[in-house]
Amino acid sequence: MKALKQKMLALNGDEAVAYAIKQSDVDIVAAYPITPQTIIVEKFSEYVANGEVETEFVCTESEHSALTACLTASLVGARAFTASASAGLALMHEMLFVTSGCRAPVVMAIANRALSAPLNIHGDQSDTMAQRDSGWIQIYVENAQEVYDSVIQAFRIAENLEVLLPAMVCLDGFTLSHTLENVNVLPDEVVKKFVGTRQLPKVLTHEGKTAAFKLDPENPMTMGPIALPNYYFEFKRQQEEAMRNALDVIKQMHDEYAEMSGRSYGNGLVEKYHLEDAEIAIVCLGSTAGTVKTVVDELRAEKIKAGLLRIRAFRPIPVKEIIEALENVKAVAVMDRAMSFGGNGGPVYNEVRHALYDSPTHPYIVNYIYGLGGRDTNSSQIHDIYKDLQEIIQTQHVEEPIKYVGLRE
Amino acid sequence: MTQKEKSWKEIPIAGVCWKPSTQYPTGDWRTLKPLWVELVSPCTFNCPAWNNIPRCFKNIRDGKLAEAAEVFLETNPFPSITGRVCPHLCEQHCNRNEYDEAISIRSIECFLGELVLEKKTGSEFYSVSPETEKKIAVVGAGPAGLSAACYLRKAGHKVAVFEKEEKPGGTLTYGIPAYRLPKQIVDKEIAALTKMGVEIKTSITVGVDIKFDHIQKEFDAVLLATGALKERDIRIPGEELLMSGLDFLKKVNEGLREAPGKDVAVIGGGNVAVDVARILKRLGAISTILYRRTEKEMPAVSEEIDKAKEDGVKFNFLTQPVEASKKNGKIVLKCIRIRLGEPDATGRRRPVPIEGSEFTLEFDAVIKAVGEIPDTTWIPKEFLNEKGWIKVDRSTYLVAENVFAAGDLTSGPATVIEAIAAGRKAAKSINQYLKGEEIKPETPLEEPVKFEEMNIAYYETAERVKTPELPPQDRMKMFDAEEVLGISLGDVKKEAERCFSCGYCRVCELCSIFCPDSAVRLNNDEIECNYDFCKGCGICANECPCRAVIMQMDGE
Repeated sequence: MKALKQKMLALNGDEAVAYAIKQSDVDIVAAYPITPQTIIVEKFSEYVANGEVETEFVCTESEHSALTACLTASLVGARAFTASASAGLALMHEMLFVTSGCRAPVVMAIANRALSAPLNIHGDQSDTMAQRDSGWIQIYVENAQEVYDSVIQAFRIAENLEVLLPAMVCLDGFTLSHTLENVNVLPDEVVKKFVGTRQLPKVLTHEGKTAAFKLDPENPMTMGPIALPNYYFEFKRQQEEAMRNALDVIKQMHDEYAEMSGRSYGNGLVEKYHLEDAEIAIVCLGSTAGTVKTVVDELRAEKIKAGLLRIRAFRPIPVKEIIEALENVKAVAVMDRAMSFGGNGGPVYNEVRHALYDSPTHPYIVNYIYGLGGRDTNSSQIHDIYKDLQEIIQTQHVEEPIKYVGLRE
Repeated sequence: MTQKEKSWKEIPIAGVCWKPSTQYPTGDWRTLKPLWVELVSPCTFNCPAWNNIPRCFKNIRDGKLAEAAEVFLETNPFPSITGRVCPHLCEQHCNRNEYDEAISIRSIECFLGELVLEKKTGSEFYSVSPETEKKIAVVGAGPAGLSAACYLRKAGHKVAVFEKEEKPGGTLTYGIPAYRLPKQIVDKEIAALTKMGVEIKTSITVGVDIKFDHIQKEFDAVLLATGALKERDIRIPGEELLMSGLDFLKKVNEGLREAPGKDVAVIGGGNVAVDVARILKRLGAISTILYRRTEKEMPAVSEEIDKAKEDGVKFNFLTQPVEASKKNGKIVLKCIRIRLGEPDATGRRRPVPIEGSEFTLEFDAVIKAVGEIPDTTWIPKEFLNEKGWIKVDRSTYLVAENVFAAGDLTSGPATVIEAIAAGRKAAKSINQYLKGEEIKPETPLEEPVKFEEMNIAYYETAERVKTPELPPQDRMKMFDAEEVLGISLGDVKKEAERCFSCGYCRVCELCSIFCPDSAVRLNNDEIECNYDFCKGCGICANECPCRAVIMQMDGE
């Protein structure tokens, strides 16, 4: 395929989201401001004010209402987008379940931020990790370019008729949301063509007609009615099936987009970095992968067999890919930028360790909790983690399975 | 799994029902049920005549002025009069007082009263029921008698009103000064009654010109409504030197334009005293009110007290005359200073003379106006109690077989609107009596809607309309000119808009807008609730600005 002429812009992560939304033919944006997500909607409101988009822009009085507006718009067949973070996402909690349960493919960008108390506006992934069982697809991105690319892909993934689930694109607060980077953007018409028009499944109405799955006075139907014990369970099983389907769809959309844009992120579900012959590996999400990659390069220069597995799709979790990627690794460090109080390590550690139970080679595995409330994690700390892994292999012993990075003990 | 229940692969996604929600009558989830009701507004509750003011104002807002006036006429035949002379308890209790200012109900009443006044003298204004051939005598053509006559005539009876004075109207004609109530208004109201067939026989004193027994025999029912027109004595030595306030007002209304002296005192704190004092100022005299309590306890309408002050009437409070004598052509009043003691039965603080505080005042003339009592000397003894008051059932107005009594005659001096209300209620009793039915008193009104029950979030603050008035210097020059002028139709509408409409649906449709089930709809200017779908959430009742929606246990 002929390489597309792309424009390079200096955008921070939030602006990259807004730019992607501007190009994605979105019908409605309803949102409520919260740091560090505010720039997204602020920037988008400029597009609205300047007449650059025809999107219905709804200022709501709360995040709960913002998501409700998006949900209901989505149920009449609209393409809906919202953005939030931290307490805002927590306030949406109820509607997150209603949205996924109604199978409304709303797309939401989250500029990850810590949850109160104590009050903290800085980045960590406690907010989205707390919502990991809400039935939303979750994609964690590494840089502003991936923010832009992932938001565009998210509409295709969410709206895919085999999926029909809402999707979150998670970017680390401040690290990504407020940091200016070079971002290559596609021409408007290319993005418009890629996202296309929202497709709706066909259903049989009570009058025996075939109609689109949407609220429509011509073909009245009830969305989100009561389901008693005899059916509720079945609908939940359907959601799980849709999540399974999403694994393939995320890959497909990633590949299709990669071919068009020339940019790829592993296979869309996970990104492997020098894992082929790695003996020690770090598993992480989001922007931290950038720092880890630098350290891996340094270690590789010293002939140390270090590698990185970045999980891009956390929901659905690509179990098969994780097992395969870590098959030949002897010791694994899983980094979590959120805590699961009282749990056996952080959420990512839980998923990876659990996946590796079915691995034919059982590597040593340790958990590193890091970066809470925006605490910086630097390359020397990453170096230390790899050193720990080397020591584990040497001693054949895990002293402490769960550790805290940069914490004053 | 039964055969009917399908696997997760076979059922449509998201639990969508391929049926419209109207197929699921969710009304059976309901515990509480909203009801659209009419509750009693504080204005109606406190109006002696129970005028339905919210309903009247709704008609104004809908542009139906004639219908609005009709609402008044249902309970008060003379809004053009009460709009001027009523103390307007409705306004005093208006819930809007607690928000900004009361609605100017008086101005609207006056406007509507005059609007229909012209039409009233035309034929066919009143729809009189088919003739019953029953004859009713009303003794006394004051507000109570005329009000009763109007409603009795409307019921189709022949009504004859006997009046001892030359002109009908009673206190309306001979008591209240023309600057408060122009006499042509009274004349027109009376002409309207004549037009509808009420026969008014003036200069006939029952008991003198015509015998009581004769009336009682000749007519199917008799209503006694001769008012309270006997000046109360203050019982002091030299009382004969004092003039009567009522007599003075009557003479002025008959054309007297001369003060009884240059420096005149008026004893009393009621409306008669204030009327007399203000007239004295107009006649060029120095006018001083002597009252044994303070301004706060004065029974006169507060606006009239204010105007008296503007006119330059002097007030001598906490002053009680104890003796009157004549010296060098002057009336010398020996007075005693008063202090206020504990509240009495009426809630007013009791006047207690301060020993040794006597002092004297001198005037050219002194007019007493300390209250009136009914004259019952013409009424047969068997209808009177030992104190000389008429024996009447206060709720049915019944005195004896076919004899009824109403107004000041039974209650002692009260307001015009109370007399009008009593006249209407007595007419109702008489109707029941003539039909041979049990005479039932009117059911008392339920407790009125409180301010706290209103959803005032939906009302903006707005100033009460200003009623134009003649400035004091002008009213001194024009003896009969009406002081309080009318308001424009535009202002009438503005005031009707300001009305909270306590307990009365404004048809604002908020209940319909907020109903989450679309169960509440507007149909032909009426709110309808489809109880098949109403879940009883109560949002309609909560949002209603007027408290016209209440929640009740379903099935009650």
